[in-house]
Amino acid sequence: MTKLGIAIDLERCVGCHTCANACKMQNNVPTGMLWNRVLTEGCECIDGAVGTYPNLTRTFLPLACQHCENPACLRACPTGATYKDDMGRVEIDYDKCIGCRMCMAACPYNARSFNWEEPVRDVDFNYGDAAVPARAKGVAEKCTLCKERTDRGEEPMCVKCCPTQARIFGDLDDPNSEVSRVVVNRGAHVLLEEQGTRPQVYYFD
Amino acid sequence: MELFKRNKVVTAVLAVLACIGVGAWIYQLMGGLAVTGMSNGVSWGAYITMFMFFVGLSAGGLIVASSASIFHITAFKRVAMPAVILSTVCICLAGMFVLIDLGGIQRVWRIVTGPNPASPLVWDICVITCYLVINVLYLYFMRKGAKRAVAMVSRFALPCAILVHSVTAWIFGLQIAKEGWFTAIMAPIFVASAMDSGLALLLIVLVALNASGRFKTPKELIASLAGLLATCIAVDGYFIFCEVLTMAYPGAAGAETLALMTAGPTAPFFWFEVVGGLLIPFCVLVFAKNRAKTGLVVGASVLVVAGVLCKRVWLLFTSFIGQNVAGAPGVMSADGWTMAGAYAPTLVEIAIIVGVVSVGALGFMALASKLLVPAAEEEAVPAVASRASAPELEFDLQVA
Repeated sequence: MTKLGIAIDLERCVGCHTCANACKMQNNVPTGMLWNRVLTEGCECIDGAVGTYPNLTRTFLPLACQHCENPACLRACPTGATYKDDMGRVEIDYDKCIGCRMCMAACPYNARSFNWEEPVRDVDFNYGDAAVPARAKGVAEKCTLCKERTDRGEEPMCVKCCPTQARIFGDLDDPNSEVSRVVVNRGAHVLLEEQGTRPQVYYFD
Repeated sequence: MELFKRNKVVTAVLAVLACIGVGAWIYQLMGGLAVTGMSNGVSWGAYITMFMFFVGLSAGGLIVASSASIFHITAFKRVAMPAVILSTVCICLAGMFVLIDLGGIQRVWRIVTGPNPASPLVWDICVITCYLVINVLYLYFMRKGAKRAVAMVSRFALPCAILVHSVTAWIFGLQIAKEGWFTAIMAPIFVASAMDSGLALLLIVLVALNASGRFKTPKELIASLAGLLATCIAVDGYFIFCEVLTMAYPGAAGAETLALMTAGPTAPFFWFEVVGGLLIPFCVLVFAKNRAKTGLVVGASVLVVAGVLCKRVWLLFTSFIGQNVAGAPGVMSADGWTMAGAYAPTLVEIAIIVGVVSVGALGFMALASKLLVPAAEEEAVPAVASRASAPELEFDLQVA
């Protein structure tokens, strides 16, 4: 089996938000929505800092769907619109989504966004990969692990565009893949381990 | 449609409100759920609150009617008809609120063609459908006077009524992501608050029917139902106390949620429920001489219903206040900097809710006109209860 995942080196992350923008571009993510967001840990705002001047620290935390092995959203979805595919990705079949937002209540990471209205795009046209399906009003959406790219054997756009190469993408089921080795050797951790969702996105520093 | 003819002004007002509600719903279908106050941060709002509330309100009727049959509480049988009518109307409203809350109602058939058996929402749809069917059968057999059939249906009605509240609770109580919801006591709390709010609404309706002269409920029966209401309030309060104590004691994550509940944005609702919805009505109804005063019973019932509505509010929204990972992508909004959700119902939501409730009131009036036997005729029907089976278990609640 294939179990695609990402490991993120927090030591290398400089908080440039390139991954967030690359994702938005690639996936035609509408205005007011991000599938991937770079948070600043311990802060009340984006790009803040912790402490009092001059003793300040700042740690970035890029966050998107964790593609959990035990996804809470999948269990809650009444129509099976949310599914785990054979590559280990958590995906949404937009044609089946009835917009009940059970998944949004169920996801411990608040990774999902909802199309509350007909999606608006600042540039007034669709952008990004032509293979990415358009989402209509009334469906949930989130990071697909760049399904269309990874299907073609390419790495997700956030991984490709990261200027510091902080993101490592690969098959977690293959013990020899770079991502598997990093997870083991660098003692990578997952977010909210106590929720038992077993994420396939790891963090290390 | 006697009740419509006799209350022309009320009927007209309700009809207008219902039309405004339908208009608002069409507007929402056109604009999407963006016309509501909901956002990615607070992804459920007033509709889901009302859904929980009306599932609960539906309880009182069917539970009173079916226990009358199962436990042979002859006195309760008198009010079985209005009780089940009320129950039927409330469960229809609850179902309407779920449908109104859907973002993609045009795809709702997907639940039928490809249901995910693990989803509590699927369980809920199944159980609510069963519950509605049982209610309708109950009404049908009562109308026909088929006593054996009524006794049969009531044996299914009671467990189904308990289940419908439990399943509604599990929609929330099984979500590990939300600290405030994820607790085993959620289902018992839902059953208890369904019992007390449902009974309270039944009492209000019975007194209103008394006033309209359409249906007479003896004063002693009102007092006896009020006694049952006091017991249910006590049970509800006890469950909430158990939950609050368990949240507070370890001083860990639960205590943080509790702090939000008791001192955060949802605190007014929490305290209103505890004081106005539980403490005061209980203190009033615990005394037999108060239960004999219809005015006091109605006042206490109104407080209980309002209290349970407040409970739905704090139960739902407290868990949306904070995120497990602050500022997650799913709380984004148009300005791009949002770190937390905010919610206030919009006019559209209020119009739709008022409209749905008006439809319910009209539905109740229609069914009551059609099915209720006027007080005078009722006297003529001899109260031959099913005395043949099992020894009589006469519950005398006035002793309490």
